[in-house]
Amino acid sequence: MKKRILFLVVSTCFISTAFTQQQDTLSGNGSVTVFTATKTERLLSNIAVPVQIISQKTIQQAGSLRLSDILSEQTGLFMTNGFGTGVSMQGLNPDYTLILIDGEPLIGRTSGVLDLKRITVGNIKQIEIVRGPSSSLYGSEAMAGVINIITDKSRKNTLGISTRYGTYNTADLGLKGSVRTNKINYQGFGDFYITDGFSIRPNSRERSVAPIERFTQQHNLGYRFNDRTNLSLNFRHNSETIKNNITVINNGNSINSIGVEKNKDLNATLQLSHKLNEHVKNTTRLYGTEFQSSQELISDNGVPYIDAFKQQFARIENQTDINVNKQLELNFGGGYIHETANSTRYDNSTSIKTNRIGYGYIQSEWKALNQLTVIGGARYDHNELFAAAFSPKLALQYKLNKNFSLKASIGRGFKAPDFRQLYLNFTNTAAGSYSVFGSVEAQKIINELNRIGQISSLEPAFYQLSNLQPEFSTGFNIGASFQNAEWHITTNIFRNNIENLIDSRLVAYKTGGAQIFSYLNVKNAFTQGIETDIKYRYNQHWSFSAGYQFLLTGDQAEINAINNGKVFTRDQNGFSRKMDRSEYVGLPNRSKHMANLKLQYDHQNFFANTRALYRSRWATTDTDGNGIFNTNDAFAKGYIQLNMAAGQNFTNGLSIQAGIDNLLNYTDVLNLPNLPGRTFYLSVSYNFLNKNPK
Amino acid sequence: MSKMKKMILVLGIVVSLVACTKEDNSGTNTVVETITVKDLPADTIIGITPGAPPTGGFPYGSGRYTFYSLETNKIVPASDSASNKWDLAFKGTTIATNSGNSGPGGAGAFVFVGLFNDLKTIPADSSFRVDNAPSAFAIATGSNRGWYVYDGINQLVTPIPGRVLVVRTASGKYAKVEILNYYKGGSTPATTASDAIKLTTQRYYTFRYSFQPNGTKTF
Repeated sequence: MKKRILFLVVSTCFISTAFTQQQDTLSGNGSVTVFTATKTERLLSNIAVPVQIISQKTIQQAGSLRLSDILSEQTGLFMTNGFGTGVSMQGLNPDYTLILIDGEPLIGRTSGVLDLKRITVGNIKQIEIVRGPSSSLYGSEAMAGVINIITDKSRKNTLGISTRYGTYNTADLGLKGSVRTNKINYQGFGDFYITDGFSIRPNSRERSVAPIERFTQQHNLGYRFNDRTNLSLNFRHNSETIKNNITVINNGNSINSIGVEKNKDLNATLQLSHKLNEHVKNTTRLYGTEFQSSQELISDNGVPYIDAFKQQFARIENQTDINVNKQLELNFGGGYIHETANSTRYDNSTSIKTNRIGYGYIQSEWKALNQLTVIGGARYDHNELFAAAFSPKLALQYKLNKNFSLKASIGRGFKAPDFRQLYLNFTNTAAGSYSVFGSVEAQKIINELNRIGQISSLEPAFYQLSNLQPEFSTGFNIGASFQNAEWHITTNIFRNNIENLIDSRLVAYKTGGAQIFSYLNVKNAFTQGIETDIKYRYNQHWSFSAGYQFLLTGDQAEINAINNGKVFTRDQNGFSRKMDRSEYVGLPNRSKHMANLKLQYDHQNFFANTRALYRSRWATTDTDGNGIFNTNDAFAKGYIQLNMAAGQNFTNGLSIQAGIDNLLNYTDVLNLPNLPGRTFYLSVSYNFLNKNPK
Repeated sequence: MSKMKKMILVLGIVVSLVACTKEDNSGTNTVVETITVKDLPADTIIGITPGAPPTGGFPYGSGRYTFYSLETNKIVPASDSASNKWDLAFKGTTIATNSGNSGPGGAGAFVFVGLFNDLKTIPADSSFRVDNAPSAFAIATGSNRGWYVYDGINQLVTPIPGRVLVVRTASGKYAKVEILNYYKGGSTPATTASDAIKLTTQRYYTFRYSFQPNGTKTF
C-alpha cells in the first residue's frame, strides 16, 4: 500500500489538463480557454500569441467530417494535395505545422505531409490553432504553428448516435457516450466512414479519390483520487483501407492493377496530475504512438509492388506549474523521446532506425502591469542524430482598455530532419530508374557505386552532402484585436524567416544516365502577410464573419539573382530576356489572396449558414525553364467554393441537418484533384440522454 | 510499327525541308545576320517499345543525328558525317559538335549565361570544350546542366532562358546559338497536353544563330 502511494506521488508530478480544464467550458466568448498557446490553461482573451478557436458548434454546423474539412474554411489555411491532404499555415508547407490530439503529437507523415483526412471531427470539443513558431514549448515541427485537437470530455452521462449519408455513397456513423461518477469518468467514441470516392477526370476509370473505409475509436478513462490528484488513460485507434483499381492503356493493351493501401494509427496516453498545494501543480504524461502503412499493387504483368512503413514514438514528459504570486507564473518541464522507423524504402526493411531526444523547457508569464503581460520561454532539444536545437520565444500583450488589445511575439521554430531525409533508399524503376537516397545513405552508397565504376559523374551538390541540420525559422507576429458586444476584429501581421530548408538535389549520375538525388540543407525562404478576421453579430438571429489573408513568399537568394540581372525568361518571340523583379511570385502553390465570408442565421433551434471560400491563382509549374516561379509560368486558376448547411434540433433529442458543399460545382482536375464537384448530404443524430438541445 | 512505316518516317525526316528565315540584326552596325531555324528534326519519335514500364513503354527514334552546318544554314546528309561540312549535330536533347570523338572537325563550344544580343564579343579568355562522347559533350547533356531543363512530372523539355551556345565551327570560325524551343511549331505543349501530343511534337528544334564568316569573335 505504501509502495503504491509512493509510486503515485513520484509519477504524479504533473499537469493534468484534460480533466481539470473542464471547469471552464464554452459558455460565451469571454470564457473560452486555450491550452495550446502556453501549455497551460488560459483564458483566450489573455493570450499573447495569435490563437484561433474553432468550436464544436462551428464544426457541426459546417457539416464537417474530417479535420481537413473544417480547417479549409479558416482564414489563411489551405489544404494541399499529394501524399494526402495537408495544411499550409502562414504560407509554410504542411511539414512545418505540428498536429496534436489532446496535446500529444500525431506521427505518420508521408513526404512530410500528415494526412488530415485520417482524423475524424466527430468527438472534438474544440480545435486550437496557434500561429507562429511554438518550438519553445513543443519542439520539432512547430515552425509555422500548432493545431491541437481537444476531444470532447462531457461532464454528464451522455449517449448519442449520429448518421450521415451523401453523394458518392459517402456515409458516416458515429457513436459517442460518457459515464461520470464522483471518482470515475469514461468517454467512448466510435466512428465509421465509408466513401466510394469519385473521379473528376474525364474518360478515366481511375478515381481521383479512391474508395475508402475508415474506422476510429477513442476511449478515455479518468480516475479522481481526490481534489488534488487525477489519473487519466486515453486510447485511440484509427484504421483506413483505400482500394483503387487502375487500368492503364499502353499501346492498346490494357493493364489492370489492384492497389490496396492500409494505414493504422494507435495512440495511448497515461497522465497523472497532482496539485502539491495551491500554487504548485505537477503533471506526468506517458505517451506512445505507432503508425503503420502498407501499399500493395498487383498488376497483370510484373511483380507485385509492396511498400511498407512503420513508425513508433514514445515519450515521457513532466511539467511543473508554479503560481509564484499574482504577477508571476512559472512553467517548466522536460522529457525524453524514443522514436523508431523501418520501411521497405530504407536499405533493409528489418533494419530499425532510431532517434533519441532529450529536452527541457521553461516559460514564465509575468503581469508586469495591469495592462501588460510578458511571456518568455525557451526549450532545448538534444538530438542523438543531428545538431541540438535551442528555441526561445518572447510574447507581449498590452490591453489598452477592455475592448482593445495589442500583441507582439517573436519566436524560433525548428524541424528536425525526418527518417526519410536520412535513410531513404528508393529507386524508381518505372520512371527512368532514378534513385533518391537519404543523406546518411547517399554518401555511403555513391562511394560504393563509384568504387565499382557505376557512377559516371558526381555533381557539385555531392560534395556538399554532410550531416543534415534541422530547419529553422524565426517568426514575428504583431497584432491587434477589438471586441465588444457586436464586433470582434483581429488582425495579425506576420513574417517568417526560414533557414536551412532541406530540399532534394541531383548529386550524381550513374553510368547509363540514371540520376541520383539526395537531401541537403540548401535553401532559405520567407513568408509574410496579414491575416484579418471580422465577426459581426447583427442581432440575435443574424451574424456574419469575414476573413482575409494577404501572403507574400520568396527566397532572398532568388530575389538577389533577379536584381543582379542573372535570371531570364522569354518574350513573345521565344527570345530570352531579363526577368523583372515584379514578375517574381516566390514559392509555388501559394495564393496571394485568400478570403472567406460566412453568413449565419439562428432562430430558436434552427440554423442555416452559407460559407464562401476564395483562393486567388497560384503558381504550379515552372514552364519557362528558369527554375524560378514567375508570372510567365503556369498557374492554377483562382476559385470560389460555396458551402451551405441548415439544421434543426428537436426537443426529443433528435437533430437533422442537410447541406450542399461546393454549390457552384467548381472543379480543377489537375490542381485540385481532391475537390469533388457539388455534393449533398443529410445527417440525423439522436441523443438518448440529455435531450435538450444546447 | 511495321518496318515499312519506320522507313517512311525516317525518309520523311531526312527529306523534310527545314524552313529557314533570315532577318536583319537591327540595332547593331555589324553585317552579321541572325538566322532562325525552325522545326529541325532531331531523331523524332517513331515508336514506343511494347509493354509497360519498367520493361517497356519507352519512346524511341531511329537513333540518328541530324547534322547541321551553321556556315551554309543547311542540313548536311549523314553520309558527310565524317567531314568538316557540319558544325552541330542534333539527336534528342543531345547536341554534338564536330570535334573530339564526334567528328573530324575543329569545332568546340561552351554555354554562355546571358542574353544572345548582349554577347557581342566572345571573351578572349573563353575556353571551348570538345566532345568526348558518349560520356561528355562540349555542350553538357542532362537536365539543368547545359541548355535545357526536363520537367519529369509533366515530361516536357524546356530550353533554359539566358543560355547561349557559343560555337567554334568545324572550320574554326565563330557562331552563337540560342535554342528557342524543342517542339514542332516552336511552341511547347501545355503541361496538360496528352502524352501522344508531347511525344509526336518533341525533338523539333527551333533556334536562332549568328555566324561570323570573317573569323573574328565579334558579332
